[in-house]
Amino acid sequence: MAGWEREDPGDLAGREQLAGRDYPADGAKQVVQANRDFLANGAIRIEQADRMDQADLDDLVIGGRRLSSRFFLGTGHFPSPAVLREALDASGAEVITFAVRRVNLDAAGDDSMLQHVEDRGLVYLPNTSGARTADEAVRIARLAREAGLGRWVKIEISADPRTLLPDALETLKATERLVKEGFVALPYTSDDPIVCRRLEEAGASAVMPGGAPIGTGLGILNPYAIGLIAEQARVPVIVDAGIGSAADVAQAMELGAAGVLVNTPVAKSRDPAAMARAMRLALEAGRLSGIAGRIPKKKYASASSDPAGSLFGPPGGAAVLGKAGW
Amino acid sequence: MRRMKDFRLYVITGENYHPGRSLREVMEAALKGGADFLQLRDKRASKRELLEKAKMLRKLASAYGVPFVVNDHPDVALAVDADGVHLGQDDLPLAEARRLLGPDRIIGISTHSIEQAREAQRQGADYIGVGPVYPTGTKPGRAAVTTAYVAQAAAEIRIPFVAIGGITPDNAGEVLAAGARRLCAVSAVVGSPDPEGVCRRLLARIAEFRGTAGTGSEAENRRISVNGRPVLTGAETLLELAEQHGLAERRVVAEVGGVIVPRTGWGDFRLTAGASVEFVHFVGGG
Repeated sequence: MAGWEREDPGDLAGREQLAGRDYPADGAKQVVQANRDFLANGAIRIEQADRMDQADLDDLVIGGRRLSSRFFLGTGHFPSPAVLREALDASGAEVITFAVRRVNLDAAGDDSMLQHVEDRGLVYLPNTSGARTADEAVRIARLAREAGLGRWVKIEISADPRTLLPDALETLKATERLVKEGFVALPYTSDDPIVCRRLEEAGASAVMPGGAPIGTGLGILNPYAIGLIAEQARVPVIVDAGIGSAADVAQAMELGAAGVLVNTPVAKSRDPAAMARAMRLALEAGRLSGIAGRIPKKKYASASSDPAGSLFGPPGGAAVLGKAGW
Repeated sequence: MRRMKDFRLYVITGENYHPGRSLREVMEAALKGGADFLQLRDKRASKRELLEKAKMLRKLASAYGVPFVVNDHPDVALAVDADGVHLGQDDLPLAEARRLLGPDRIIGISTHSIEQAREAQRQGADYIGVGPVYPTGTKPGRAAVTTAYVAQAAAEIRIPFVAIGGITPDNAGEVLAAGARRLCAVSAVVGSPDPEGVCRRLLARIAEFRGTAGTGSEAENRRISVNGRPVLTGAETLLELAEQHGLAERRVVAEVGGVIVPRTGWGDFRLTAGASVEFVHFVGGG
C-alpha cells in the first residue's frame, strides 16, 4: 500500500524532462518525432511503473509463502485440461484449488488432474469438499497432505446440499484441529465478521468468506459484511464463492479483500482464458481503486467546476431553487 | 446343484468372427486351451442348421468333458441331449423353460442389473451371466454395465455368475479384481487366430485371482470393501490390491479403516477380511 501512495520518481522525471525540453522552433517533423519518443518512452515507463506497483501491491504472504498473485483459481468444471492451462496462464494464479475424491476403479484411464498443471511451481490448495463434519474434513485434509504436495488446506464443510453454505461451527472445530496438526488452514466460511474473527483466533492463515453460495454467480450479496471482515481481519481475507464476473472481483477488492478464489465463473464462461484475464485485471483495478479510496456517497450533485463565473443561472431557474428551499 | 460343476472359462460360439474356419475347428481349439463351458449361440441359423451344429458340439463337449448348453432353444437342447439352455431376458421365461427341460438340466440367464440377477437367483437359475461388462460387438447397442455391476454380483449373488462382454486377456484383471471368478469370452477367443492361446491366457489371469490355494470357491477369497464397493480379492497386501487396480504407479493415497497407509508401507500391509480400503486422488475443484 505504501508503495502505491508515493509517485513513481522515474515517471515524474520523465514528464519533467519532456516539459523542459527545448524544442527547435522550426521543425514540425522533429516535434512529431519528439511526440513519438514521448509516447514510446511514456509507454515503457508506465509499464515499468506497473511492474513496480504490482510488486509492492502483491505483497501477500500466507503461511510464510510470498505470493505473486492474489488470484486463487479453482480447477473444476473446465471443458478440457488444455482450457484449464490457458485460463491458468491468463489468470496469473499461483494458488490453485482442487478436490479429493475416490479413484474411479472402473475407468482405467481416469487420472488425477494434477498431471496437467504439475511443474509450474504452484501452491496446491486441496479443499475438503464433500465433508459434512469437522471429522470428515480432517480426514480429507490428512489424505491430501499424504500426497506430498504441501500442507495447505481449504476447509470446506457444507451441511446443506441445496445451498452448500458452510457450517460455521464445524468449520471452526476443523480449523482448530488442523492448525494443531500443522496445516496452513484457509477456512471457507460465511460472510459473518464474528465467525471470521473466531477462525482467525483459531489460527487460520487466511479467512475465506463467501460472497454468495458456491457456483451461483450472484456476486457479493452482503458488501457491508465483506467490508467489515476485511477491515477487522489481521489475516488475509480471500473472497471465495459466489463471484459471477470481473465486476464482482473488482468489488471484492475495493471492499478490502486481499484476494479472490474463483472457479465456476471462469470455467463456465464462454471463453475461460478471456474471463481469467478480465478477472486478473479487475482484481488489480479493484485493489488500486480501494487503496485510492472511493469518495463518500452523496444524495445530490456537486459540480466539477466552481459555479462562480458561470455565464448562466442554475438549471431550472429560480422557481426550482425556491421549491428546493434555497 | 444339477448337472453342473464349477467352471472358469465359458466360451460361446460366434461364427461371424471366424470366416474361413469351421465351427468345429475353432471351438475345439478353445476346449484344448482349457475352456470348460460351451454354449452354442446362433441367431441367424435356421432351426435345422442349429440342430446340426448342436449335435456336433454336443459330441465335442462330451469328448472334453465340459457342459454344453444351447442359447434360447429348449427344443434343440432336448433334441441333442444338451446339458441345458442359456436364456436372455427376452427369451422364454425361466419357469417355462424349467417345465420343458425338467429339474436336471442347466438353465443360465443373462442379466444386466443386480435386480435381474436377484430375480434369476430367486427363480432357480443355475448360473447367471453378468454383463456386458464392456461394450461389445456381439450385443451392439447394449450399454455396458461396467465392473460396478460385477462387484455388486460378487458381493450379493450366491449362485455362480460369469462375467461377459468385451472381456479380453488385457482387461480380464479389472473384471477379476471386481470380484468375478468366471469369465466368458466370445470375440476375444473365437475371433483370435489362436483361440487356444487366448484361452490359456484368460485362465492364467483367472488363476492369479483365485489364488494358488483356492479351490475356486468364493469363500477362499477375502471379502473387503474398496472405495465403498464390496470386492472379493485374492490380493494379500495393499500393494497387490493397488497393482490389480492399476494404481501402484499413480499419485494415489490409500487409507484402510480410516487410517492412512503411507505408500512405502503398502507392500507390508496385509489385507484382512472385512478391510475397508479407500484409494483417493485429486480432481478438479474450487
